[in-house]
Amino acid sequence: MNAPVVHLSHVRFGSHKKPILDNLSLEVEAGHFMGIIGPNGAGKSTLLTIIAGLTKPNAGHIDLFGRCLNRKTRQKLQKDLGYLHQAQSNQPDIPLRVYDVVGMGLTSYQSTLFSRFFQDKEQERDMITHALDLVEMTKHQFDDFRNLSGGQQQRVRLARALVRQPKLLLLDEPSAALDSRHQEKLYQLLRKLCDEENMTVLMVEHDIAAITSYVDSVACLNKNIHYHAKKGDTIPDEVWREMYGDHVNIVAHDASCIGCAPVAKHNAHGHHHD
Amino acid sequence: MIDFLSTFFSSPVMLGALFPALLIAVVTSSMSMMVLAHRLSFLTVGVSHASLAGLGLAVTLSLPLLPTAAVTAVVIALLLALLPKHQGINEDAGTGVLFAGSMALGVILISNANSYEVDLFGLLFGNILTVSEQDTLWISWGSAFVLFSLMIWARSWWSMAFDMVTAKASGIATSRLRLMLYAVVGLTVVMCVKLAGIVLTTGLLVLPAACAWFWGRSMLSLWLLSLSFSIVGTISGLMWSYQYDWPSGASIIVMLCVCFLFSWAGAWLKQIKSR
Repeated sequence: MNAPVVHLSHVRFGSHKKPILDNLSLEVEAGHFMGIIGPNGAGKSTLLTIIAGLTKPNAGHIDLFGRCLNRKTRQKLQKDLGYLHQAQSNQPDIPLRVYDVVGMGLTSYQSTLFSRFFQDKEQERDMITHALDLVEMTKHQFDDFRNLSGGQQQRVRLARALVRQPKLLLLDEPSAALDSRHQEKLYQLLRKLCDEENMTVLMVEHDIAAITSYVDSVACLNKNIHYHAKKGDTIPDEVWREMYGDHVNIVAHDASCIGCAPVAKHNAHGHHHD
Repeated sequence: MIDFLSTFFSSPVMLGALFPALLIAVVTSSMSMMVLAHRLSFLTVGVSHASLAGLGLAVTLSLPLLPTAAVTAVVIALLLALLPKHQGINEDAGTGVLFAGSMALGVILISNANSYEVDLFGLLFGNILTVSEQDTLWISWGSAFVLFSLMIWARSWWSMAFDMVTAKASGIATSRLRLMLYAVVGLTVVMCVKLAGIVLTTGLLVLPAACAWFWGRSMLSLWLLSLSFSIVGTISGLMWSYQYDWPSGASIIVMLCVCFLFSWAGAWLKQIKSR
């Protein structure tokens, strides 16, 4: 059997008294599309930064692609990893074409200017064009990145994460700046990449109802994983209340939702409203 | 005009200054892209002023001026890169502290030296016309190192400037490369001191890329434009200096400022036209 793409064992981040993540264990197989939900401050972004090798946990063990993630292996493991962090408020003021921004995601981008002479630029061009195609930004490839709208910039960033064709894709609220049409398209694209390319996707989102028909499972996170709902599972009431507090009002959606009870009445699950 | 050019190019002083000045123009224009992209303008101000401590040490201990100043500048630049991270001090404040402290040390050391040993005006505002063969050799080696560093790390530095977090997640050793960037900026600053002096060095490290920023659309186009502005500014500045007997460093900076004004006005007009 192949090793899981992500394997976290008893991970803690933060002090013993006030941990941000506490005793968190998780295993994700290749080709799996996982949504991660949880309230603000639950540690969702921290979890992604730990898996991406950006933050070192205070305790616990992490394996990526069957290899231990540590200082020595980090850079090598990151070559198979795509990461999209939350949209920034302070944009870099650097004149760059969209094409070049996406090109920064290629693993060959870090090579020296000497070795550029020996690289297959044709293949690079194809990879960049393909990534731009996936997010429907090909016609903007020669535009200045700074002149794009927030949603377009987010799609370019996603293309930059996808361009190296990673085995593992970590997305932190990727739909934040997107309109509903592009949100749908994004989830469809990620589903397709998981099914056809065997890519593993971990995506932090707030709206479980929006992602539920695309993902394979939903992890409910608040310091640790309170519940890991697979397709057809129902997230118990107490999990919602444990994560979001007693004031949460749980509203039913359709029966195909992960976490929704098949026959939804007043107490069915699926979407929370604070 | 032809008479002027032939006199200019037949002047041994100008010919001696032209090679190191052009070398500095190439190096500063290349590094100025990184200075602007990483927002290190204030760092260059801090390091150039702080290099006075190195010059003071060199004068007091009878050490070679430029190498001693270079070591001091690189150490100070590295301290500035490390301080904020480990001591919780804002980089801006850290630069201010080191800048003032080392400049004060430099002033004390130089004031104790024999006045004939130190060309204070040259240190503060530069004088490429008095460049010695040893200085030229030193500038050549320094330039080779800076250009070599750019050949190796330019793309990673560029990626870091665009998005530090994603650069780190994509496998770039951001902490190590940030230190290298600061050290190379420190070294470049010291090389400029001979041309523009402590006070005006920042101009050489900011203006070429600032002129190009309005027009460049990629790293390569920015570099080519920055290089062109820098070379035009340096040669015409030296000619200006020769014609009117003005200080060479200041003339080059003023010429680069003129280039910047033209570039900015051109970009503004283009923007109005496209509306």
